[in-house]
Amino acid sequence: MTLHVAEKVVIITEKIIAKGVCNIIESCGATGYTLFAAGGKGSRNNRSTAQRSSVVDDFANVQIEIIVNNYSMAEEIMEKVRQTYFKNYSGITYLEDIKILRPEKF
Amino acid sequence: MDFLYDFLMRLLTQFQSPTLGFLIGGMLLAAMGSKLAIPDAIYKFIVFVLLMKIGIKGGMEIRDANLAEMLLPAFFAMVIGVVIVLIGIFVFSLLPSIKKEDGYATAGLFGAVSASTFAAVMVVMEEESIPYEAWVPALYPFMDIPALVLAIVLANIYLKKQKEGNETKVDVWGIVKDSLQGSALSALLLGLALGLLTMPDRVFDSFYEPLFRGFLSILMLIMGMEAYSRINELRRVAHWYAVYAFFSPIAHGLLAFGLGYIAHHTVGFSPGGVILLSVMAASSSDISGPPTLRSGIPSANPSAYIGASTSVGTPVAIAICIPLFIVLAQAVF
Repeated sequence: MTLHVAEKVVIITEKIIAKGVCNIIESCGATGYTLFAAGGKGSRNNRSTAQRSSVVDDFANVQIEIIVNNYSMAEEIMEKVRQTYFKNYSGITYLEDIKILRPEKF
Repeated sequence: MDFLYDFLMRLLTQFQSPTLGFLIGGMLLAAMGSKLAIPDAIYKFIVFVLLMKIGIKGGMEIRDANLAEMLLPAFFAMVIGVVIVLIGIFVFSLLPSIKKEDGYATAGLFGAVSASTFAAVMVVMEEESIPYEAWVPALYPFMDIPALVLAIVLANIYLKKQKEGNETKVDVWGIVKDSLQGSALSALLLGLALGLLTMPDRVFDSFYEPLFRGFLSILMLIMGMEAYSRINELRRVAHWYAVYAFFSPIAHGLLAFGLGYIAHHTVGFSPGGVILLSVMAASSSDISGPPTLRSGIPSANPSAYIGASTSVGTPVAIAICIPLFIVLAQAVF
């Protein structure tokens, strides 16, 4: 089995802007992304996961992961998300080196 | 003196009413660190059922109503929504240590309407068998949407001036769309349409009507728990928010009561309708308003406006304003 090197961009941010972030991801040319509920503690307060009912669900957090096989595309996604959202919305983003099985998928 | 006595007695009865009892119960549970958790999905479902019930009932009765009577109250509802926002912005501009855009957002939220408070007052009206016009629930969007739109537009004009940059224009239609698509208003409007156009009497009598009170009690429990947990957030922002959130529902309700009184004398708006209009004005949005404001004024601090509305504004609207305006209506009309 041959594994190929790729990049994974991780963005943890507010659910309310998830749609906008996904639009940026697609406009940068990524072929897909994975999105799931996230919770934890950061500089802007505690965020619980979706267990307890909260009156404003849109303020929950999500984690979005994007796998790309192109370093500059990964950087472009991170930079665009930072410029568009991170001044007013809470969020972090980081890059990981990963290995993937089928490079043609990305 | 009689009035004060009557009001205090009514307040006492309200404290024993299931609506307020559950609200306080929820606060106590949260205060004592209870692990009781009502899942989010249930909360959303309850809000949906309550607003469908209010909508269907309104829709069924609008069929026989004279809609021309609605024009002046609907206009007043819009005026109230707009004036509350303007007053709020003015008040916050006078207070120290308030970030401008936080003030705009809080004023917008208090101008908008709370679905849970509205459901609570409907139950009280039924219990006291106070009659009101069938179309009164349809006034909800007339107050809700202008308030949110105005707050967001003014905040963006202000922010643009600060930056002097050529930002994109404020998308008013986008805000209106966002409010209409919110879970509370879409359920209410769907209910109105179904009640008006279809014959939902059987499903209404066997499902929506019997569930209403029970679901409302659970919603109140959730609101109570949420109110308590938001107090911590409110503590971290300026204390003026709590002061505003305590007094403004009463002031806003009185303003609406005055306009409702005018409508009563000019077009015969019923005293029950005046009460509902006043409570609508007193309430501050807790379901659909916050996400709309968060996207419309991203730089405003949500802890300020949601804390003010959920932990102070809504309890004041339910515990004080509902009995206050019922007593006031009985004294005036």
